[in-house]
Amino acid sequence: MLPSIQRQPSRDRQHNNARFPHQPPNAIRLRTPNANLSDEAMSNASNNNNMGEGVDAIAEEDPRAALFREHYARTEARLMAVIGGSSKADEDTLSENEPKPLSDVPPTAHDARPTVTPKKPARAIDEDDYGDDDDAEEEDDTRTSPLYAKSAANGITPTALDTPSLRIPSLSSKLGIDRTNTPSSEQAKVSDDVRKKLQQDKTAAEDAAKRSYHTLFYTLENDRDAMLEQQRLDELDRQVETETSGPSGSAAPNGAPAVPQQGTLSTTNLGASSLTLKHLIARIDAQRDMVHASDAQLRSLISEVRKNRSKWANEDKIGQEELYESMEKVLMELKAGEHAHPFLQRVNKRDAPDYYTVIKHPMDIGTMMKKLKQLQYKSKKEFVDDLMLIWSNCLKYNADPAHFLRKKALYMRKETEKLIPLIPEITVRDRAEVEAEERRMQRNGDADADGAEDSEDEPIMASRGRKAPSKGNKGSSNARKAPPAGLEGTPGPEVKPTVPSINSAVSNLKNEFLRADSEMEGSVNGFATPPPGTLTPIGPNSLFRSGAPGSQADNSELDGTGASVSGLTLEGEDADLDDLEYKTWKQVTKKDRATIAAERNRLFRNDHLNPEEPALLRTKAGMRRWLRHRKQALDEATPHGAEPASDGKDASQATAGETLAEGMEGEEERQLPDYYDPVCAIPDLDERLQWTEDSQGHVIQQVEEYMRVVPKGQFIAPQSSLARKVESNMRQMQETRKVCAKIGIVKQMQLQSQMYQNQFQKYDPQPFRELDVEAMVVSEEGPVIAPYVCRAALQRSVAKIFYHAGFEEFQPSALDSVTDIAGQFFQSLVRSLGVYREAPKIKSDYPLVIPAGTPTSWQPRFSQEEAVLHALDANGVDLETLETYVKDDVERLSSKLAAMHDRMRSYYAELLRPALDQSAGPDGAGAFNDGSEQFVGGDFAEDIGEDFFGFKELGLDREFGISFSVPLHLLQNRMHSAYAAQNTNNVSTTGDIMEEPAKFEPVTIENINNQIGLVQEWFMSRLNDNNSEELIEDDDLPPKQRFPKPRLPPTGKISSPRKRPLREQQQMARKKRKLDEVKDEDGGDGPNGTSSLANKLGKPVGKLKLDMPSQKENNPEPEKDDGSAVGMISPESITVA
Amino acid sequence: MADKDKLAKYRTEIQQMMFVSGETGEPTPDTTTLIESIVQDQVQHLLRECTALATRRGSKSISTDDLFMLIRHDKAKISRLRHFLQWKDVRRSVKDSDDKGGDAGADVGGEDLMAGAGAGASGPTQGPEPGKKAKRARVDLVWEVPSYYSELPPETDNDNERDEEEEEMTYATLLRLQLADLRTRNMSREEYVHWSDCRQASFTYRKGKRFKEWAGFGLITDSKPSDDIIDILGFLTFEIVQTLTEEALRVKEEGERWKKESGAAGDEMGKKRKRERGLFDPPEEAREPVQSAHVQEAYRRLQRGNNKSRAMLNFTRNVHRAALKLI
Repeated sequence: MLPSIQRQPSRDRQHNNARFPHQPPNAIRLRTPNANLSDEAMSNASNNNNMGEGVDAIAEEDPRAALFREHYARTEARLMAVIGGSSKADEDTLSENEPKPLSDVPPTAHDARPTVTPKKPARAIDEDDYGDDDDAEEEDDTRTSPLYAKSAANGITPTALDTPSLRIPSLSSKLGIDRTNTPSSEQAKVSDDVRKKLQQDKTAAEDAAKRSYHTLFYTLENDRDAMLEQQRLDELDRQVETETSGPSGSAAPNGAPAVPQQGTLSTTNLGASSLTLKHLIARIDAQRDMVHASDAQLRSLISEVRKNRSKWANEDKIGQEELYESMEKVLMELKAGEHAHPFLQRVNKRDAPDYYTVIKHPMDIGTMMKKLKQLQYKSKKEFVDDLMLIWSNCLKYNADPAHFLRKKALYMRKETEKLIPLIPEITVRDRAEVEAEERRMQRNGDADADGAEDSEDEPIMASRGRKAPSKGNKGSSNARKAPPAGLEGTPGPEVKPTVPSINSAVSNLKNEFLRADSEMEGSVNGFATPPPGTLTPIGPNSLFRSGAPGSQADNSELDGTGASVSGLTLEGEDADLDDLEYKTWKQVTKKDRATIAAERNRLFRNDHLNPEEPALLRTKAGMRRWLRHRKQALDEATPHGAEPASDGKDASQATAGETLAEGMEGEEERQLPDYYDPVCAIPDLDERLQWTEDSQGHVIQQVEEYMRVVPKGQFIAPQSSLARKVESNMRQMQETRKVCAKIGIVKQMQLQSQMYQNQFQKYDPQPFRELDVEAMVVSEEGPVIAPYVCRAALQRSVAKIFYHAGFEEFQPSALDSVTDIAGQFFQSLVRSLGVYREAPKIKSDYPLVIPAGTPTSWQPRFSQEEAVLHALDANGVDLETLETYVKDDVERLSSKLAAMHDRMRSYYAELLRPALDQSAGPDGAGAFNDGSEQFVGGDFAEDIGEDFFGFKELGLDREFGISFSVPLHLLQNRMHSAYAAQNTNNVSTTGDIMEEPAKFEPVTIENINNQIGLVQEWFMSRLNDNNSEELIEDDDLPPKQRFPKPRLPPTGKISSPRKRPLREQQQMARKKRKLDEVKDEDGGDGPNGTSSLANKLGKPVGKLKLDMPSQKENNPEPEKDDGSAVGMISPESITVA
Repeated sequence: MADKDKLAKYRTEIQQMMFVSGETGEPTPDTTTLIESIVQDQVQHLLRECTALATRRGSKSISTDDLFMLIRHDKAKISRLRHFLQWKDVRRSVKDSDDKGGDAGADVGGEDLMAGAGAGASGPTQGPEPGKKAKRARVDLVWEVPSYYSELPPETDNDNERDEEEEEMTYATLLRLQLADLRTRNMSREEYVHWSDCRQASFTYRKGKRFKEWAGFGLITDSKPSDDIIDILGFLTFEIVQTLTEEALRVKEEGERWKKESGAAGDEMGKKRKRERGLFDPPEEAREPVQSAHVQEAYRRLQRGNNKSRAMLNFTRNVHRAALKLI
């Protein structure tokens, strides 16, 4: 906005200068008899009004100024287009050039109007001029402004008219005949010229507006108005459609067949393009069986290739298509205008109660649309009459010269006059009539060429049920198929294939919003393509509209007062004396702005994101446009001199892509700056960043391939020789500590008499391993700065240093504080390094050459080494200290540690195997080297001072001269079992041992019969004791209930036998007493001294008394020898075991 | 003299020490008093720090470990101290084994400590028999390797390790010996005897009570320090005096050189003095003893902080207050 405001004064000045020269032509123009106005009174009225306005120049200053400004803008834009960009027209050029367009335009318009009498020679000259101009312009403009191309279907006709004669000679002859016969072709030419001229104006204006994209920033404040206006327009369209399509729904004016038939291709209605393709189609039909493609495929293929036919096409009405298309276009154009508001709908009686008394023939654009849809116009004149009726009605009703509507009406009328030449002078005629005429013509001559052609055409034509295209009006009809040549390379709006039947079917199902959306699209995409909702029956539409919330509601709200309100606002805007450029811009971009604003509005209605609404999507076209604009801007910015080669390549690539893509899809260029469409300005996502899923719906991980993973080893200590030494020291310490732990256990076991199962935890330190961070993705190179990770890494290093300094474990708080201190120290170290490195450069005595190649006389204050040394010194570190650390605290420490380890090992070995001295070697095998018998003889136990076997007591050692001692490491069953208990896990996990045998089946009441008969009774009693529950093995009892096992003490003497349960002992005691009694009794019996056993056995069996003596003899001996026998036996059992 | 001047209790000792350290002249009482106050300050600081350490350790009385901790960065000193303590232990055990040599042993111990530097040069090395040397006790420091482990293996006879540890000590010792050699090279026999007598000077030896009072035992820390601590302090005080004297001599030398190079006036003065030199004047070096200014400068130099102590204050606005440095 700002620049435009700034420019305003100069523009005003130009206005003041320009106003005077402006006026006469305008007056002339107003005075020009308007032949098209059928109603003489109306034209008079308008003229009078105009004159009145002219008289009341003071009162009408603003509207007039607006008019002039508008006119000036157009003129200037055209000038710019013609001259090529010298937009700042100074006074000279202005005055010089001004008459030219003014004199040009009105005469042509004037010429165009008297359609009946052609003035060939004059026109021919004009034609040539314009043709040249147009050709030149087309080259430029078609590329930049697709809007021009949009209408190029019509505007390009004259050039297209020339080409068919070359390309399709068979038709040209007919054309020639037709031309001579029908003046309408000539007329078409004339109107084409006018159209072209208008088009040119428009294009120029658009170009001007577009050119300002780069120089001006437009704000979005007017978008709401634009949107509302557009909504009203759409509303009108819909209304018209619903009203028209109701009765004539079946007579859908499109060329789509109701039921596509199978069989030959030619049955497919391919529109006008089938003419150009007819040879191809015939060929395919002839060799149908050789083509390996289904009908549907072929059809879709051809329908892609062909040019679209308009919805107005009708077999029976010749000329209707062209006429209606142009009429519709004019209507659309007018409707889209800034001032069209009040005329869109029928005047409401509420608003103007006396309207229909004043105005006898009310007319409005909506009604005209309706009439258009219902094909009520037969000729151009009817249409123009209706149009003019609207304006004149308005002027008539609003007689007050100051009324704001008058201004609008006048403006609209002016627009109308400009647009009317676009409509070809065609009268719709019935086909039958024309064909009759044709037949007459055919009969007259040149049947030979036609005959051949007709015979060729026959299958298609016949099957299409349509005669060869209307030869009478071929001039304009051919124009429809000519555009492929002319439109090459331009984004063709017509290319977009509309398949109305499908669209309508779909849109029936869709809700109102979608429909509104597509309509919006349709209206944006071009006037020629009908909104898809066209065919929807009236019922659903009205239903939808009544229930439609949102924008519809907004719209309906506005409906009552809409016209006046919006009119007022517009009036206000006009009064604002808008900058001309800005106004033009607004005009040009109104529709697109409205579309975009509506899209946004839908999405963000009520100030929050509506998730159900369609998202704002990026379009390929938009992105291409954005790229193109950027390139343009760049080109403009840089003087077109040396363009980098790479850029050129890009450009060529881009253009290639553009043309290809533009050919493929019907894209619509919006007349908007890029910032209106920010979505498209977002660059494309990298393919590898896309969220892709495979067939199973799993997300494909593309991490490894493309993401920048943090290089490994950023957070672990680098492999330096110092680090290796430190680590080996630490390993050494761990090993030594292991030995230490063993020593501790041994010592403890020597002190303690009783061991607990888990008294000694096995000391098994794990080697240190530094873990790197997990694979992580970063966006760019450089160090990873994640403070907590870095701190953790530093903490780990500190911990390693702690360990290396001899701390086996440490408080976390100590670690934390030391880490913090270290971190701070390193920070200040690095900062001081920075200070030294960034010291100001000093002048050097001799020139240096920096790596870039340019010599300089400035050199850094400190070299790298100096900076490092200074930084170290500033922080109290010098190289000597560092070296001392490495030497003393690392290298010498390692030797010390190794020595310590050796000492520990030997100490441990001494503890374990006193006999194994250093000479025994690591595995103890060296102990045998001297051939000693100490292991065999077992005399190491001397050191323990233990009379293990009890030999000393017996005196055997003296007798045999040997010591029967057992070495300590053979006596380590306790130690061993303690270890074994700890190591059970390890053993069981190895899986090498034998499987455990199946457990015995516990004895129960049920299976007691399986036991040996002898013990059954005993088991029975046990079971009775046990409440008939199953018996538990002794080993499975809980440890405290277990019977103590007999154990050999270190003395080797079995001092006490297994303790028997109390009851048993008592029984034994009783028995003994009995025996004694028996003995006493038998004492007198003499020689038969009975032992307890003999008595017990012998008592009940008196007869066996004789056998007893032998037992009697044996019995005393064991009793007597009991003590010694055990002493003798136990060693054997031990050694055997 | 020591009795009447409270501050100058060790004047003779300090003079002797300075003489041993290279000062050939007769230092003024000013100088010795200054040095004494410096030494006293140092010792008291040392004791304070030790007490703090001991408190942190949870102990009431200071131990040799605390002292070692304070001087841990001076490896040569540490090494010599350990050496001394070992030998002291050896002597104690010898004394225990036969009580008659006990006195001599202790005597020798003190002497050895002080004369350790000159032992090689002066010849009279009195070591115990080699057999006993093997059993000398080990003075372990907490930061040494054996303390890493929970078990302490019995002492073995590996002397290579020990030798290695004494490496730095031998280097320092050699330096000292060299210095002593230089100083005594031109001495006559009597002078040498005097010199070696001076080497016996000590703050502590047989002046235990005076030293305790002087150093503030009982005020700063508990009043019953162990023998070892007193001996170590004696050694340290000697070291302090020696270092100070050497530094002061260096300062003086620099000053003279500067005078000689810079000013004719100074030169004039010097020449004038030279001319005044009489027949019975002491030797040249002795004539101009170290002034207290030199000592102060030396002290300043020795107290000059290094960057390490304020490394953590870099890029901060904190004012660095340097603690008293142990010389």
